[in-house]
Amino acid sequence: MTEPLLVLEDIRKNYGAIEALKGISFSIGRGEVVALLGDNGAGKSTLVKIIAGGLEPSSGRMLFEGKEFLAKSPAEAKAAGIETVYQDLSLCTNVDVVANFFMGREITRKVLGVPVLDERAMEREVAKALANAGTRIPSLRTNVEHLSGGQRQAIELNRFVHWGGKLVLLDEPFAALGVEQTRRGLDMIRQVARQGIGVVIITHIMQQAFQVADRIVVIRQGVVAGDVARQKTSPDAVINMITGETLAGAGPVG
Amino acid sequence: MNPRTRKILEIVLDNLVWFMLLFVLIVFSIFIPNYFQLGIFANIIEASSVLGVMSIGLALVIIAGHMDLSVESVAALAAMAVGILFCSAGIGFGIKLYPEWLMVPVSLLVAVAVGGLIGFFNGFLVVKLKMSAFIITLASYIWVRGLVLAVSGGRSAQDLAPAIRWLGIQRLLGLPLTAWIAIACFVVFSAVMAKTPFGRHLKMIGGNETATYRAGIRVTRNLVIAFMLAGAIAGLAGWLLAIRTSGATANLGVGLLFNAFAAVVIGGVSLKGGVGSLPGVYAGVLLLSSINTAINLMGLPANFTQVVHGLLVLAAVLLDTFKQNLRQRLA
Repeated sequence: MTEPLLVLEDIRKNYGAIEALKGISFSIGRGEVVALLGDNGAGKSTLVKIIAGGLEPSSGRMLFEGKEFLAKSPAEAKAAGIETVYQDLSLCTNVDVVANFFMGREITRKVLGVPVLDERAMEREVAKALANAGTRIPSLRTNVEHLSGGQRQAIELNRFVHWGGKLVLLDEPFAALGVEQTRRGLDMIRQVARQGIGVVIITHIMQQAFQVADRIVVIRQGVVAGDVARQKTSPDAVINMITGETLAGAGPVG
Repeated sequence: MNPRTRKILEIVLDNLVWFMLLFVLIVFSIFIPNYFQLGIFANIIEASSVLGVMSIGLALVIIAGHMDLSVESVAALAAMAVGILFCSAGIGFGIKLYPEWLMVPVSLLVAVAVGGLIGFFNGFLVVKLKMSAFIITLASYIWVRGLVLAVSGGRSAQDLAPAIRWLGIQRLLGLPLTAWIAIACFVVFSAVMAKTPFGRHLKMIGGNETATYRAGIRVTRNLVIAFMLAGAIAGLAGWLLAIRTSGATANLGVGLLFNAFAAVVIGGVSLKGGVGSLPGVYAGVLLLSSINTAINLMGLPANFTQVVHGLLVLAAVLLDTFKQNLRQRLA
């Protein structure tokens, strides 16, 4: 890893007098999987939203591919190559699987100069993407409201794998998944990282973090409480960092 | 349940309003003397053109998850603008353009521009200032009607220029051109909603606005356009209304709003947003119109129409709930 993909420098976020983030600095390399851990309210989701363009930081700066970067909207972040899977699902349940998969990026063809949805081409792509990932959904034309939680989450995961980009942010992506689907999801993440895409995954489950991540970053009370390579730490040490039994920034333990 | 019956059931559920319309027409044709005539059916379509066009605009914003109560007043203002400019009696200026046919596009443009402008105003306030569409458009409903009263001084404009009036008189296949314009509107906007990214985005915004924003869809822009379209289409409805009545009065179109809401709801559009299609709305409009015609033919007092419309809206909502349950069992 030569130049890091994304560098965060002293990111702060205040809500009035409350400091949600008190200066976060770390970096993510190309093809690297970083697990972002921390207790509830540590500021993980806030940080993800700042990178993804949903929130503006109060101060600090970000470098994306070596250039100063600040997304003012999710659209800008996407244009730069940052994909996000949010904790609360981002699907429109009133339309079908295909429409959700291509949300905002529909394939069109021109009819008399007017862009018209190319449903067949989109359905083909979705069928291919889902088959590759081993996800089975009876009909791609059923509205998402009729699908189970696991199927919905699978759609979102497949969507980010399909679109790729340069950096993927996953905010608790496996909350509604079963054991087998989670395993497949973790495989997907490794597969995405092998393509040189940086991955940030927020999770509460220590085991998942150790299964998939190259590096583990712990956030506690708005600061980075630990930033260690997976091989150089253990679940117990990480738990200590999360709960604050070791000093902030103590680095590798154990 | 085998896939075939399931598929048929899906089709019936998706087009339930059309089946209701068919059912009602058959029942009326059997039990009401003189109902079964081409002239009657033509009349049903003709009488529903203004309401139909207005319902399109209303349906667009409702599908996008908002609301526009101002369409009725906007239509009245557009009609009054056309009336004042191109009527020769009453408060009309009687402006003449040569060649005369030029008055058609110019008057249409005036009506659509008036509507689009108010629609933009509504949309801007709702989307940019994040105010409730209900309140903003309720205000517009009141002040725009006030404006109609103010500019007309409560008087009316009569004798619309014959070149424009011609659209309401000239018939093609038994229907006046104004009715064809309404049908064309339904065809065009149904295609826009079903086949273009814009229509798809509006529907998804109505379903989950946060998701569409996160997916990079320009939500504010799309919504402002939807409100502008609703206004412009209401303007078009006003133009048709002016042609139909050959002028404009200060209280033109009063009560249309509630009929439009009824048509939209009966047509299967959910007020929660994200659900519904325009062909269904057209069936809803035709359903209302055919019931009106039946009441007229039976010689019942016209006041009964209101009662029937109200019950129909209730029935539509009940039916919708029933449909939802059935669908859940299907999935």
